[in-house]
Amino acid sequence: MYPRLTLTLLPVFLLVLAISGVLLGSLDLQTALSTGPDILTDLRLSRVLVAILAGAGLGLAGAMIQGVVRNPLASPDIIGVTGGSGLAATALLLLFPGVAFGWMIPAAIVGALLTMALMLWLVRNQDLNPARLVLVGVALSAWLGALIDWLLVSHPYQVNAALVWLTGSLWGRGWDHVAVLLPWLLVLFPLALMMALRLDLLALGDEAAEGLGANVLQTRKLALLLSVALAAVSVAVCGAISFVGLISPHLARLLVGGSHHRLIPATAMIGAVLVLLADILARTLAPPIELPAGVLTSLIGAPYFLFLLTRYRGW
Amino acid sequence: MSASEATASRLAAGPKWFLPFSQLILLLSLLMLGGVLASIGASTFTLTLADLWQAVLNKIIDAGMIGAVVVEALSLDDQVDAKTLASQLISTIRLPRVMVAAVAGAALAMAGALMQGITRNPLASPALFGINAGAACLLVMAQSGLIPLLAELPLIVVTAIGAGAAGALVLMLGGGLAGRIHPVRVVLAGVAVTALLIALTRTLLILDEQSQSVLDWLSGSLTDIGWAEWHQLWPWVLVAGLLSLLLAQRINLLALGEEMASGLGISPVKLRLQVSCLVIILSAATVAITGPVAFVGLLVPHLARKFTGADHRVLLPVCALMGATLMVWADYLSRLLVFPSETPVGLVTALVGAPCFLWLASREGKR
Repeated sequence: MYPRLTLTLLPVFLLVLAISGVLLGSLDLQTALSTGPDILTDLRLSRVLVAILAGAGLGLAGAMIQGVVRNPLASPDIIGVTGGSGLAATALLLLFPGVAFGWMIPAAIVGALLTMALMLWLVRNQDLNPARLVLVGVALSAWLGALIDWLLVSHPYQVNAALVWLTGSLWGRGWDHVAVLLPWLLVLFPLALMMALRLDLLALGDEAAEGLGANVLQTRKLALLLSVALAAVSVAVCGAISFVGLISPHLARLLVGGSHHRLIPATAMIGAVLVLLADILARTLAPPIELPAGVLTSLIGAPYFLFLLTRYRGW
Repeated sequence: MSASEATASRLAAGPKWFLPFSQLILLLSLLMLGGVLASIGASTFTLTLADLWQAVLNKIIDAGMIGAVVVEALSLDDQVDAKTLASQLISTIRLPRVMVAAVAGAALAMAGALMQGITRNPLASPALFGINAGAACLLVMAQSGLIPLLAELPLIVVTAIGAGAAGALVLMLGGGLAGRIHPVRVVLAGVAVTALLIALTRTLLILDEQSQSVLDWLSGSLTDIGWAEWHQLWPWVLVAGLLSLLLAQRINLLALGEEMASGLGISPVKLRLQVSCLVIILSAATVAITGPVAFVGLLVPHLARKFTGADHRVLLPVCALMGATLMVWADYLSRLLVFPSETPVGLVTALVGAPCFLWLASREGKR
């Protein structure tokens, strides 16, 4: 409720979390340092950075989608975008094993866009009823998930690479991934910020927004495109970390209110915090074993979605 | 008109592609028989092929159980000729597998029909309402030994507890047993509960480090099914199926609307509770054996209703037959799809079922 204060405190919190992410791990700090600086910088620091970037991307994607469809239940994974990019990336990994990692992101974006197109085609006759949109998205995700599983089953020899990537984990992510992720997000983040004002206008309702000079249709398309790209980029690097795109905009809205020029940076930071936290927990809860971060986020996210559902009155 | 009323009126609207009942049953039976024969016959045929012999002799045993069984048979008697081998295979592996597939399909389809009957929600089904995921989660919990008490209970009880708890949770979040339940809301609650339960199950599996074998089972698989599984499955399905036939007429009355039904002497809440118990038994028994197989329970009732109309006395048996047919064919496909290794049967049903669900959901939206 103190938007400015929150906006200044969030980066501090994120920083603290990032530092503890570097310091915590299955090896204690002393051992890690004595083994050489490699563990801290090469393994943990890069991983923390990937978590922050991917989390921010997912959070932003959720905020944009929710802004466009004015639907508190929407998020990239629930409307099937994550599934689409997952399918494209899995197909790339399995069918063309030799391809460089850099191609994952374009492939994921293409997959996500195709899914989005399919989704929009499926709901073309409907009045974008929020719950209905989610329903179609759920079915689409189920289908894409089955296709992914089928790809995995039919290529048993490369399945490990794909499985590690698919469960939504930050295991083994390093500087290479930061290098791939960073340029995309450096372009997409400012674009998202530039959309903020227009999304605020959209929130007033279509007619009011038109009256104030916004091109509603164009704004929607742009924002959806951005959101799909953001989600796809994050998914391409760390797999389907579910529910982050759903929760972070809500948390951000609670903390800084609904106006998008605050909401968007806050969402990015909260998304980053969530993924980072999930990753730290994932690798420190049961040290030799690593849980996928995606499992942890759905353990937190699914109950929250249920809570939203009981509160939602727009039926 | 609210969504549930629209659904009710559609349910009452009657058959669309009417076929005489006897012809329908005959057709389905033939299809089913074809599936069973294909399922059994395919393996026999493959076994007599020389290249499989070659493969076995070279000890290149692919993950398929065909290889394992042949080796077993060979070690019993080196001079087994192809015929006895084939007949052994059929009697120990193929036959129970086909029968389990049929009964599981019938059980899931009936569970779906019952759920759609009492909730008047065209999207109701064991998989979407979290029931399958609940059963699976508790089963994994029991097998990992996390809760010692659970490990001592029989499998079916464990899965029934899970199924019941998850189903109750979803219904509660979706609006309660007695009240007006918004169709989409329940489904969304089901999706979230399913996501939660799957995440839990995965965590358990990873922490328990026995994920590989159970991963297959988690998407619904008929691998490693023998007579023991068959004997665990059929009594439950038979009893629950017969009981549901006894309740069929009351479910029909419930479709007339709550007021009408209670005017005719039926307590809607009581009936829903009874039917819910049956649904839980049907899906719990199936999940315990085959794992959560998706979309059979959702699709078959819709398909069957096209042929028979909404009278549950006819609908339920036809659903059972159709579900069995679908599952047998899906199992057959699951073995052919990626030949030497097996695709979990749940994947096949999901690949076919999800587009149909999309079609249903978008049709629902137009009203």
